[in-house]
Order: sequence, then structure tokens, then C-alpha cells
Amino acid sequence: MSGKPPVCLDLEPDLVAAATGEAGAAATERVRAHVARCAPCRDEYAGYRAVDREVASLRAGPGDDAASTAARERLLARLADVRSRLVRYAVFDSPLGPILVARSEQGVSLVEYLGPDGVAGSALARLVDVEVVEDEADLAGLRAELLAYLAGRLTHLDWPLDLGLVRSEFQREVLRATAALPYGVVTSYAGIAGELGHPRAVRAVAQALRRNPVPIVIPCHRVVGSDGQLVGYAGSRVGLKEHLLAVEGVHTERGGRPRVARRALYHYEENDAREYCVPTCGDIARRPLGRVVLFAHRDAAEARGLVPCTSCRPDLHPLP
Amino acid sequence: MGQPDFDAIVSAHHGEIHRYLRRLAFRVGEAEDLAQETFLRAYRAWRTLGPDANVRAWLFTIATNVFRNHVRSETRRRTAHATVRATRTEREAGGPEEEAMAGEVRTITEAAIARLPLRQRLAFTLRKLHDLEYEAIAQTLECSPESARAHVFQALKKIRISLNGHLPAVTEPER
Repeated sequence: MSGKPPVCLDLEPDLVAAATGEAGAAATERVRAHVARCAPCRDEYAGYRAVDREVASLRAGPGDDAASTAARERLLARLADVRSRLVRYAVFDSPLGPILVARSEQGVSLVEYLGPDGVAGSALARLVDVEVVEDEADLAGLRAELLAYLAGRLTHLDWPLDLGLVRSEFQREVLRATAALPYGVVTSYAGIAGELGHPRAVRAVAQALRRNPVPIVIPCHRVVGSDGQLVGYAGSRVGLKEHLLAVEGVHTERGGRPRVARRALYHYEENDAREYCVPTCGDIARRPLGRVVLFAHRDAAEARGLVPCTSCRPDLHPLP
Repeated sequence: MGQPDFDAIVSAHHGEIHRYLRRLAFRVGEAEDLAQETFLRAYRAWRTLGPDANVRAWLFTIATNVFRNHVRSETRRRTAHATVRATRTEREAGGPEEEAMAGEVRTITEAAIARLPLRQRLAFTLRKLHDLEYEAIAQTLECSPESARAHVFQALKKIRISLNGHLPAVTEPER
């Protein structure tokens, strides 16, 4: 090849390109003009054309045949398995400190306030038989919604949930009942226990909510002691509970242990007329929570089909 | 949560990626494992792809990386010579007698491709057997489009030399 005239050497890339269908119009024209008068390059060109045809014949195979179909089936089965064990998570900075959110294929499986050990100390680190992947992009949408919720711009986190970490059917029932509590509504552990038909299972309800794998999304912060005390949240971090309730307009009074400020909330105790009251109506403010449900706003009460009491008239004398 | 989308990606591209890896792989059966690894890696990362990403080119890049890693671990155990021989023996085994002549040219071509330096072989396979754009090949091989083009050019030259005397003359002056 070193014996080629310079003009042929210069043209060689174009010649190969033209013979194998990759040259532009100008190069093709140059090559055609050259091979018309240069016999060695004509042979070269013909040789590359033959190579091109040979290569083209290789393009078809190996085909998308039975082996390939079987391989695809096996891949899909493997993917289904990986997918069922894959947990994606991200850690968000929030006004409540770093929060870890994790989700499986089914839905969000974990919302956790991180302690000083970070992810290493989280429930995520204790999961077995799963593959855990940090994936901020995947969780970016949830992050935005969570932050909007904590800022009071969003009143409901409509997230699909995966309650696979919940061990007992009873806990599942407790979580379902709690998930049904609307924004700005407060009840007690006894109230949930009564609703589930197990009025004496107050402690069990409290335990079930203490182990809520998805706080905030399932609003266990809306469940307090019968005397209004903000007991037990995320271990002993009652301040978080206070913050979450305050976002919904449920404020707490200090002095001793924090408790829900009932004088600033509407009250409802089951009655045939489905009337709700201001706290100064009779002795309703002294009845235990659970029998009485609290509402931060009239809207929240009326959205549940309740009507203003005809004696205390919360519609005429709304709370400040 | 968007999972069916990934199954759609598998349906659309697995056949071709598997074919690509069968072309590259040393042993039958190896390609399936490599294709599986390609799609498992893709599954973990695909949400980070932008909406306008070229999924096909992206999968070829992953498959190429999977293959190159495989080659690295494989060459620790085998010599390149033994590998080429194994490839030829396997492919020759099933050839029907009546296609012996055409089969011979094909075998020579395949052997010439198998002997190419890795980057030339990858560039050639991506361009000539899978029609990828030079831009995409350049990204896959982490080089410029011009070098990708040069790799393909070198590959064609080598295949041409290997086939010298084995090909019938083609006399038509142009396509």
C-alpha cells in the first residue's frame, strides 16, 4: 500500500466510505471520477464493495430466535424478582431535620426521622433480603410534596403505600383507621380503639402507632392521649408532633407536658343531629378525647357532614 | 411506579442487545448473561435518563461496558489465541455442507472481525451491524466521532485484506 501514488492514498478514506455507503455526495463524486481513470483504485473499490456485501449478509444473524426469546423470558423473570426486592431511598433536609423516604415497587414503605447515625442507624439498614439503592431523582417528586406539606401548602400526601414492614393485621387496621383522619382533626388512642371495636386495646393502638413505618403520610400525629397530651412520637420526640399539628392549625399549650389546646378547637361528640360545637358549649370540653373529636377548622368538620350546633352556634361565633 | 415502562424497554431492545452481545461474546450462553447484566444495570439507572434520551444508544453503551469488563476478567483466564479458536470451532460446527463456499467466506469474515483490536471491533460492530450513529459510538467508546470513524475504516481495511483472493470480483462501478 505504501507504493500507492499520493493522490490515491489521500482518496483512500473516501473510497472506503463510498464503497461502503457512508460517503456524502461530493466525496462519492470525487471517488467516481478517480476510479474511472485509476485501475488499481477501481479494484480496491470493487474489493470494498464485496466486503460491504459480505458484511451486509452478517447483519441479519444471529436472529431474534427461540434462544433470544427464552433469554428475554428469563430476563423478565429476573427483573420481576429484583424489582420486588428493590428499595429506593433518599434523605431530605426538612424543617423537622433530615427525613429518609424509601419506596418499593408497590409504594412508599418508610418515612423516618434520621437520628445522629444517619442512614446507618435507620430501619433501612435493618432490612433483610432487599437491595437498597439511593435514588434522589426517583424520589424528587415525593420530596417536593413532603416539603410543601410541611410548609402547609399541601394538606394530603396521596402516596401509594407499601405496608410490608407492618407485622400484624391489628397494626394494619390501626394504620388504616389513622390514615382516614382528615387534615386538622385530632382524636385519641382510645378513639381509634373504639372505632376498631376493641375499646380496651388503647395501649395496643399506641404501640401500633409508635411503630408506624410511614409517619406524616399516615398521620399518627393526629392521635393523642385521652387528656389531650402529646404522648410518644418517633421515640420521645414530641416536638415533631407539636410541629406537625401546628402546621394543620392545631396548637398546643405548654406548662407541664404539651397538650392540645382544646379551647381553640371545635368539638364533636356523636349525636343524631351531627352537630359540632365550640368548646364552651356545656361541658363538652371536659369529656375525654376519643369520645370527642377535635377540628382545627369548621371546614374540616363540615367536610365530614357535620353541622353547626343550634345552641352554641359556631357558625355565628367562630373561634378566633 | 413506571415499571411497565421498563418492560417496554426490554421488549423493544432486548432482541437487538442480545444479538449484539452474541456477536461479541466468546461462548454461546455467555451473551445471555451479558444481556441480563446489561438490562439489570439499566434498570437501576434508567430513571436518571432525561425524557429525550436515546434509550437505544444508552443501552448499547451499557452493553459495551459490560462486555469490556467481561473481557478484562476473561483475559485473566484465557489467551486471545485460544479465544479466537473457540469462536471459530463453535461457528463452523453447524454449517451445512452445501453452503461450504459461502460459509468459508463468512467464516473468514467473522474470524477477521474476531481478530480486530477491541475498539475497532466494537466500533465496526456498532456501525456496520447495528447502524449506530458515529456520535453515539463516540460516546460509547469515549472518543471523538472522528476516531470512531477511523476505527471503522481500519476495521474495513483489515477485513478487506483478510478476504483478498476469497471474494468474487465485483465489477459494477457504483451502487
